Amino acid sequence: MSQVLNIQNGKIVTVPEVATIEEIRDEIREVKTFYLSIDNKEIWNNFKYKSGQFIMCTIFGAGEFAVSLPPSPENDRFHITVRTVGKVTSALHGLKPGDKVGLRGPFGNGFPFEEFKGKNLVYVAGGIGLIPLRSSIVHALQHKKDFGRVLVLHGARTPDDLMYKENIKEWQSFEGFETYITVDAPTPDWKGETGFVHTLFDKANLPVENTIAFVCGPPVMFNTVIGELLKRGLPDENIYSTLERHMKCGIGKCQHCAVGRTLVCTDGPVYTYRQIKTLGEEI
Amino acid sequence: MTMFLIKKADVGNIAQELSREYQIYGPMIEKGSGQTFFDRAQDLAEINLSAPIPSNPPKSVVFPQMERILSYEYDRAKNAVKMEPDYKIEPRALVGLRPCDLAGILCLDRFFMGQEFVDEVYLNHRKKMFIVTNTCVAPFKQCFCVCTDSGPAAGEGYDLNLTDLGKECLVEVGSEKGTALAAKLALKPANDSHLAMKKEKVDKSIAMFEGIAVDSKAWISRVMNRVTTGFVKEDVWEYVGDQCFECGACTFVCPSCSCFNIADVNNPECAGCADRLRTWDSCSYEGYSRMAGGHNPRKPVEDRRNKRFFCKLSYSQMKKYLRPGCVGCGRCAWVCPGDIGLPNVVTYVRREITR
Ligand SMILES: Cc1cc2nc3c(=O)[nH]c(=O)nc-3n(C[C@H](O)[C@H](O)[C@H](O)COP(=O)(O)OP(=O)(O)OC[C@H]3O[C@@H](n4cnc5c(N)ncnc54)[C@H](O)[C@@H]3O)c2cc1C
Ligand code: SF4
Ligand code: SF4
Ligand code: SF4
Ligand code: FES
Repeated sequence: MSQVLNIQNGKIVTVPEVATIEEIRDEIREVKTFYLSIDNKEIWNNFKYKSGQFIMCTIFGAGEFAVSLPPSPENDRFHITVRTVGKVTSALHGLKPGDKVGLRGPFGNGFPFEEFKGKNLVYVAGGIGLIPLRSSIVHALQHKKDFGRVLVLHGARTPDDLMYKENIKEWQSFEGFETYITVDAPTPDWKGETGFVHTLFDKANLPVENTIAFVCGPPVMFNTVIGELLKRGLPDENIYSTLERHMKCGIGKCQHCAVGRTLVCTDGPVYTYRQIKTLGEEI
Repeated sequence: MTMFLIKKADVGNIAQELSREYQIYGPMIEKGSGQTFFDRAQDLAEINLSAPIPSNPPKSVVFPQMERILSYEYDRAKNAVKMEPDYKIEPRALVGLRPCDLAGILCLDRFFMGQEFVDEVYLNHRKKMFIVTNTCVAPFKQCFCVCTDSGPAAGEGYDLNLTDLGKECLVEVGSEKGTALAAKLALKPANDSHLAMKKEKVDKSIAMFEGIAVDSKAWISRVMNRVTTGFVKEDVWEYVGDQCFECGACTFVCPSCSCFNIADVNNPECAGCADRLRTWDSCSYEGYSRMAGGHNPRKPVEDRRNKRFFCKLSYSQMKKYLRPGCVGCGRCAWVCPGDIGLPNVVTYVRREITR
């Protein structure tokens, strides 16, 4: 059967495409970034996705898992950043450059960037919550003139848990980009801010008018940050997040990712807080 | 529509003719237990069109309980991957399907093939399938297809439909495949008078529900409104949740339930070879939505129960299936150890409305 049959609307649906790991970089404890390329050149050259979409990644002999796409869709080296939590992610961490994996996708809705034009963008990321937001941040950086203020607020447990350290350095030096970092538990040599990520809001003089906020992180962080944003008067439809659910098929069939009346794999993973409120489930 | 007549004694010829091209599945009464099962016929004579509604729905023929959807081999020495969407699907004919079970398959059709993404494995099963339905000239105890618009006569979606008219059977043709088969059997044409006889049979069957189908009184439309608009009170779902043993039985016997799991299983006989299997799953299981770090957004069992009933009884599902997700077969009520089959849950919700 030809591979083309498995592409619907330009997506690789059932049979994964073989991809090669080109390079692996350590991020933080248990987290690595894998640079990949799809072996079939024709498919690789036509492979397109939107910020906020995800793919299903097969580790041969172990299984498949859902993973965000942190690079911007334009002009950014293709990669995934993965934390070991179980069987499949651990198997991926055991691979080396040159090894093969399988990729299926892209799936999901992505961020509606058209609607964000002319607005301030506030990214609030707790820990590895920066992974699903990275694509959108780099996109904003590449199209800075389309937006007002762009703020990245990143908090982690300790300085060693801060994500994408080199990227953050770059972003800091980029004109019109504001980056604020904090840790919950500082080490003796930490010179930056301490406290949970929302404690940065005053320091950052957080814009509220004409502002879109992106929030991603562990459930406790999510709830506190959303509470603080609403208190400051940000409308709930201007707050975006990407939800995570147990996923198997990625195409709206297995129902594992059902949340409320929606499916995270096809209706999400990007939701506004207004939608999340009506889902009637925990985050 | 083209219609034919076949002598009752010759009905077996249909399966006989189909068996040249298809594996034959149909309702059979198991000798020891006296129960009806819908299964592959080793001997065509076992198929019994007047057997009661089978304990298991024919769902497994088109959506097997476990099936391979991919096989691959990762040769580490050569660093090469071979992948096959290796479905190995045989042509199958379902003979003697009840209308409710046909409606179940049509639900699955819409769900697997009628949305943004098409499920190729399912599509392959469906393309190779022949369906012969059998009008229910009398309901069974637990039936309520009249409330879910799925019986006792089949509307569309069959290749051939049979109706027992006494000495003869009316054969209605519903597809090109059906036309071709009828031609091979050289059947006698039927006319409008036979159709009128069928209508009489069906009307009579519907009239019998009040006396025979006494187990389930599921008046679904009002309840659908309630479930959709979220007006079912917490305590109803809690009560339903409390009764549930999380055994998954209701899901597995339901002709329209389709949740599945996917796992890669290594082949012990070949290094680097694995099969990607999909297996039935149930939204009532505790681990169904559990995520990394043990976080489970859907903890209480009433959350999970309410998922299944929402799936069967809400307008958003209506949009997907163009009918309720429940086809009125009553099987979940048979198997549920907690006594919360769909008809009972409908009753609890209705009681709340009238309270
Ligand atoms: C849209 C989306 C984007 C994601 N992006 C990233 C990313 O960029 N980086 C990253 O590291 N992780 C990401 N994840 C989470 C990642 O998919 C899971 O951590 C991974 O599936 C766990 O697989 P495993 O086999 O290693 O764990 P398992 O051995 O299967 O399980 C370990 C634990 O994780 C749970 N689990 C299994 N599958 C999932 C799942 N799909 N999601 C959540 N928990 C699961 C199990 O129930 C168990 O509690 C994303 C998930 C989604 C849905
Ligand atoms: S529910 Fe209706 S269609 Fe199904 S077996 Fe009973 S009478 Fe026949
Ligand atoms: S919910 Fe129950 S009665 Fe309805 S179709 Fe499924 S098994 Fe049959
Ligand atoms: S059959 Fe009954 S007890 Fe078992 S999972 Fe279904 S509702 Fe729960
Ligand atoms: S992952 Fe299967 S339905 Fe969403």
